[in-house]
Amino acid sequence: MTVDDQILESAAMRFEILKTALKDGATARLGRLGFAGRLPFDTPNFIGVTSRGALPHLTPDNVSKHLQVSGAYMALEDFIERPQAYSKRTPPIFETPMTAKHDTPLHRFTAMPPSGTTVLSARRLPAVQSPMGNTNASISVFTSTGFQVLTTNEYLSAVQTLRPDIAIPPADLTHSPITPNSKRALRMAERTDEWVVEWFSKLSADSRISTFAPVLPIAYSIQWEYISRLAEDCLPTSQLSGLAIYDPDLLPDLAEHCAALLPLPRLALSNPPTPHHILRHIALGIDVFTLPFINTMSDAGLALDFTFPPPPRPDGSSSSSSGSLLPLATDLSLPHSATSLTPLSLNCRCYACTSHHRAYIHHLLSAREMLGWTLLQIHNHAVVSAFFAGVRETLARGQEAFEVAAEQFTQIYEPEFPEGAAQRPRARGYQYKSVGGGEGKRNKPAWGKLEAKEKDGDSEGVKR
Amino acid sequence: MASNRTFTSPALTFELVARCSKTRARASILTLPHGTVNLPIFMPVATQASLKGLTPEQLESTGCRLCLNNTYHLGLKPGQEVLDAVGGAHKLQGWKHNILTDSGGFQMVSLLELANITEEGVRFLSPHDGSPMLLTPEHSMSLQNSIGSDIMMQLDDVLVTTSPDKARMREAMERSVRWLDRCIAAHKHPDRQNLFCIIQGGLDLDMRRECCREMLARDTPGIAIGGLSGGEAKDDFCKVVAACTELLPDLKPRYVMGIGYPEDLVVSVALGADMFDCVWPTRTARFGNAITKHGMLNMKREMYATDFGPIEEGCGCPCCRPIEEEGGMGITRAFVHHNAAKETVAAHLLTLHNVWYQLNLMRQAREAIIEDRFPAFVHEFFRTLYPDRDSYPSWAVTALRDVGIDLLDT
Repeated sequence: MTVDDQILESAAMRFEILKTALKDGATARLGRLGFAGRLPFDTPNFIGVTSRGALPHLTPDNVSKHLQVSGAYMALEDFIERPQAYSKRTPPIFETPMTAKHDTPLHRFTAMPPSGTTVLSARRLPAVQSPMGNTNASISVFTSTGFQVLTTNEYLSAVQTLRPDIAIPPADLTHSPITPNSKRALRMAERTDEWVVEWFSKLSADSRISTFAPVLPIAYSIQWEYISRLAEDCLPTSQLSGLAIYDPDLLPDLAEHCAALLPLPRLALSNPPTPHHILRHIALGIDVFTLPFINTMSDAGLALDFTFPPPPRPDGSSSSSSGSLLPLATDLSLPHSATSLTPLSLNCRCYACTSHHRAYIHHLLSAREMLGWTLLQIHNHAVVSAFFAGVRETLARGQEAFEVAAEQFTQIYEPEFPEGAAQRPRARGYQYKSVGGGEGKRNKPAWGKLEAKEKDGDSEGVKR
Repeated sequence: MASNRTFTSPALTFELVARCSKTRARASILTLPHGTVNLPIFMPVATQASLKGLTPEQLESTGCRLCLNNTYHLGLKPGQEVLDAVGGAHKLQGWKHNILTDSGGFQMVSLLELANITEEGVRFLSPHDGSPMLLTPEHSMSLQNSIGSDIMMQLDDVLVTTSPDKARMREAMERSVRWLDRCIAAHKHPDRQNLFCIIQGGLDLDMRRECCREMLARDTPGIAIGGLSGGEAKDDFCKVVAACTELLPDLKPRYVMGIGYPEDLVVSVALGADMFDCVWPTRTARFGNAITKHGMLNMKREMYATDFGPIEEGCGCPCCRPIEEEGGMGITRAFVHHNAAKETVAAHLLTLHNVWYQLNLMRQAREAIIEDRFPAFVHEFFRTLYPDRDSYPSWAVTALRDVGIDLLDT
């Protein structure tokens, strides 16, 4: 049984749920999400994850021409560094003037295509864990010049200046793989609760910023007070436009206890590692995903290669007996691609697949030419776009069709991505922080001592 | 098969369109196996079959119809076997337009210690495993045949122009002539690939003239002036170019190898050269530098952090055009500053801008030649580039005076 057409509408946002199952609320749903001045997009879907305001390796012209990505996730910490010599300066982004088409400072500064929806949060995705931790009125962020304190007031004022389409209020998160103990978890809930209350009391009402309140990655029983406040206080005033879900497994609890929140669009900030996880999260009712793994896979020289609904098993059988599982991605750095003139994945219509072939990407990876990562980014985003389009088509045929196809997907594809043997691009300080040391270098050093010169003369300096 | 204005050879047609009435500058149309290019031209360098982060589509959008690949690099990666299997460099990189390759000799000398040049070829240690290898004229031709470049360069004996050893310089020049003969004999596809000779002879103008005569006798479809941009004084550079162009036939393209600073291009055009290449515009982009008509700007400087203007006011490249215009991105200096040396995107944007600048400079020079206002164009170029006349480089003033432009004249 399904209900059709629930519409949530404000001046800045419109979310239409086209199709959902009635049973318990925590199920996959089809929708359409649009923000004032931006191109509306169908859900379930995903948005790109930027680094310093740019989709890695992709200039804005390539984004508009070759990606079907409807929006981008941006982190304030990427814009507010304090260079030592100019430690007192106002971050330049706050002074950005607008133009007719680049109609917010955030769009203008990052040269984001005007039709794209922007999401602003405090931290990158995934965020580097801070050794300092948050306080009652601030969170610790990691900029290109090091860790910095960002007060909740400063963050709110940054959001009001930059005017993203979606803003995520500050959340007290640990960004640690270790689950916080119950005492810490309780404090996370209490602080976030306070911060969100403060957020709504100060956010100017006429702003076109849609707030997606964070739902913390801790047990529902610990944050129920905060979540009930969202449902009872924030929702009726129309200040709350959506939810930013850090752990999609909380959705069943949410559906059970806070039905009032169900019509809100749900943005996942959970960093699912594979498409298998995405399918599970879609089934739990996530509408929009942020997928850092796409950038990671491109850097690793991997061309994504999966479709939804999945293709029939290569051996024709229907059993799940392993041995013939399809890989989720092709490692183009391996020798078998060296002379392959086939597209990165068969039937892909992206620019990289229609204009180039595996042999070229293989060459670019082996020569460490930046274009390799650019073409992989175009392809990998296209594969994920097509995956979500397939999910929506299947969902349109009904919950059951989706469940069957999702089950087939797990039986046909390997559970994880391959490792990727290629050398990665150079890592930058703001992307990564050694914790405890001893991780080993990602790439071999580009420079060495003159006497101990490497025999492997193909390093960076060797060009005309 | 030469008419008054047109020269035709099996894989190339050169048509002289216009000539400056004062200087030696020329505008022409060069038709190569992968289409037509307008001369004078700057050719960006896609060393390893990729123009530093730009897609072939983006490179095409700058108006580029002829770019370089380096034979030495492609010979190492992906290697000749792969090139043969894939069907050449055009297919490898998805580039529909023309490619020019160097001979590989320059890299042997510039990149490797222990390169030893004998009559047979260049002997060097493999950068892969240190084993001894030999690059001969025949091997260079074979590699460039596999690459399938529209213009291939002969293997030459390169010596830094500033070398004081006259005897060695003469040996290098004469050997380059002998190697040209071997290259012509080894070239398998003269019907679809053009082999250009390279004039050597250091800074000795008589030796250069002698080399010109020897090379011209071999009647290659195009002629390069080599061995320059190796640290010689700019005055000497101009003298060599002028001495060579004086002797070269009107109806063949003239390529000065390895130069790319805007003022070098403009002066060389005035001296009668048609084609240029250099890695500088793309390399300097990766260091955060933007080439503009007012000079080079380092986008990493703090003064650009809050500069929300385009990289260059009035520039027509996709980065600088406002987002409100079709095909414009509306990139600000502040955004380039924000990501310079941090995200590859900043390097890509500056590469796109710089390549566009270089190509556009040559397009403007060409228009000026056709409309016979090239001297005025040169005046304007230097006026915009330098704050005042006193800062004009004296080598440019001298070289231009010799071809009839007095930069210091009002």
